[in-house]
Amino acid sequence: MMATLKRALRAYGAIVATVPKMFMAYSIWVWMSWFVQIIAVVILVAFWRAVFSNTATVGGLDLDTTINYLLLGMIFRAGQNTDVLYEIGEMVRDGRIGVTLLRPVDMQATYYVINLANMGLDTLLSIPIALFAWLVYGLSLSGDPLVWLAFLVTLLLGNAVMFCFDWIIGCVGFYSTEIWGLSVLRFGFGLFFSGALIPLDMMPDWLRAIASVLPFSQALYLPVSVLAGINPVSAMPRIWLMQLGYLVVLLVASRLVFGRALRVVTVQGG
Amino acid sequence: MALWHYPGLYWLFLKNRLKILMEYRMNFLIGATSTIMIQGAGLLTVWVIMSQIPDLNGWTLPQVLLIYGMITLSKSINHMFADNLWTLGRDYVRTGQFDRFMLRPVDPLFHLLADRFCHDGIGNFLVGLVLIVIAAGRLDVTWTPLHVAYLALMTLSGGVIFIALNLMTCVSAFWIMDSVPVTRVVFEMHEFAKYPLSIYPRAIGLLLTWAIPFGFASYFPATRLMGLDTPLWQAYGAPLVAAVLLAVALAVWRFGLRHYGSTGT
Repeated sequence: MMATLKRALRAYGAIVATVPKMFMAYSIWVWMSWFVQIIAVVILVAFWRAVFSNTATVGGLDLDTTINYLLLGMIFRAGQNTDVLYEIGEMVRDGRIGVTLLRPVDMQATYYVINLANMGLDTLLSIPIALFAWLVYGLSLSGDPLVWLAFLVTLLLGNAVMFCFDWIIGCVGFYSTEIWGLSVLRFGFGLFFSGALIPLDMMPDWLRAIASVLPFSQALYLPVSVLAGINPVSAMPRIWLMQLGYLVVLLVASRLVFGRALRVVTVQGG
Repeated sequence: MALWHYPGLYWLFLKNRLKILMEYRMNFLIGATSTIMIQGAGLLTVWVIMSQIPDLNGWTLPQVLLIYGMITLSKSINHMFADNLWTLGRDYVRTGQFDRFMLRPVDPLFHLLADRFCHDGIGNFLVGLVLIVIAAGRLDVTWTPLHVAYLALMTLSGGVIFIALNLMTCVSAFWIMDSVPVTRVVFEMHEFAKYPLSIYPRAIGLLLTWAIPFGFASYFPATRLMGLDTPLWQAYGAPLVAAVLLAVALAVWRFGLRHYGSTGT
């Protein structure tokens, strides 16, 4: 009787012990990403405080505005990285692309919706970072609903632009079946020219000109600069018009390129 | 297996690895340059900012670049020769591949490290070296043999500090199967050491000196090299710190190895 009980306890104990392990195996990644981002926040603030130690403004921005802009950029960075480039590369490599194309839904539309969901989830997951930045460094969020509305419109437009841009690059994968090099290039350029590391206002004129032509700032600098009060809401209608123009061109181009690329698709593996 | 067999064995592993890499020449080049791209974005930021301000709380651009260069060089040693510590959980423990190591008459840790020379680290190595040479030139550092030897010793010690910390944390793979999150949390602290430690709150400086001593892999030797009045224990402490850390890491590794239970699949 005692032995049976002991054996049962040991067996169930082992099962119970796997539950936190299973949970740990995945949730530990979320904890890691929070920790890594908090380190990034601490470094960011210390670096920029040192930058402003002997100067009042850089590129017309003061310390508080700069830090607020960069922190907001960290929290809302998901719109700029659509993941679709990586996804297409993976699908072409392991042959999943064959199955995906057989499905009775538009592949590009499917991935656009997935991209939106990812952006939402990523933003939700950065709430603890926002909380940390608010508690420790006094992150200030606008109380004006109009600013938030303008931000949201700009973010959605910009994210759609980036989605179409990444889609076009992703289509190269259909030809080359290898996309790792391109995605590293895309990531490196995006990191700098999106305005995630420095606001475009601080770049020398020639760099700023390049950054404005490239699409990367559409989903980071443009929306976040409204939220941080660098650009006024009144300047937005003109920017939205420009974003719409960009979007139409890239959308048409991405449909065309995708249509052509489908003819050469190679289904690898099994 | 006797200790003196190991260098030759490493060379065999390396030759095989390079043969595989040369099969895919393009990937080899892309991998080696990829790290240059990512470093480029960060460096461009530092350059753009520092060309507009008088100094970074007392530090000039070449001084900042020397510190940045030293941590990059130390990191590249870990990246080239010990990158497999990152994948212990995912590629070896979870898949059961680690059993293969346990059955062979070679030290399992050696086998793990030698299994994959990581060419992506070459990019980091070049970036670090170029940064140090340029920054030292601007700071009028004369490259006497003594200075070169000092740089080499400090870089190697810095590399060992990186490797020891990754080794200590990767052992968690023997329990939780995937060690990357644990390793990453400690590894990430090296980001602080890219800039002068004096720009941070005091607690961070202490943390990077006594707990996770990345300060010895960049800030302390760099300030010595640029001719600042660095205390002796900071300027020359790196080899000792590296040795102690490595000894602890090896003990932790052996402890973990005793608890390795294989996957059973």
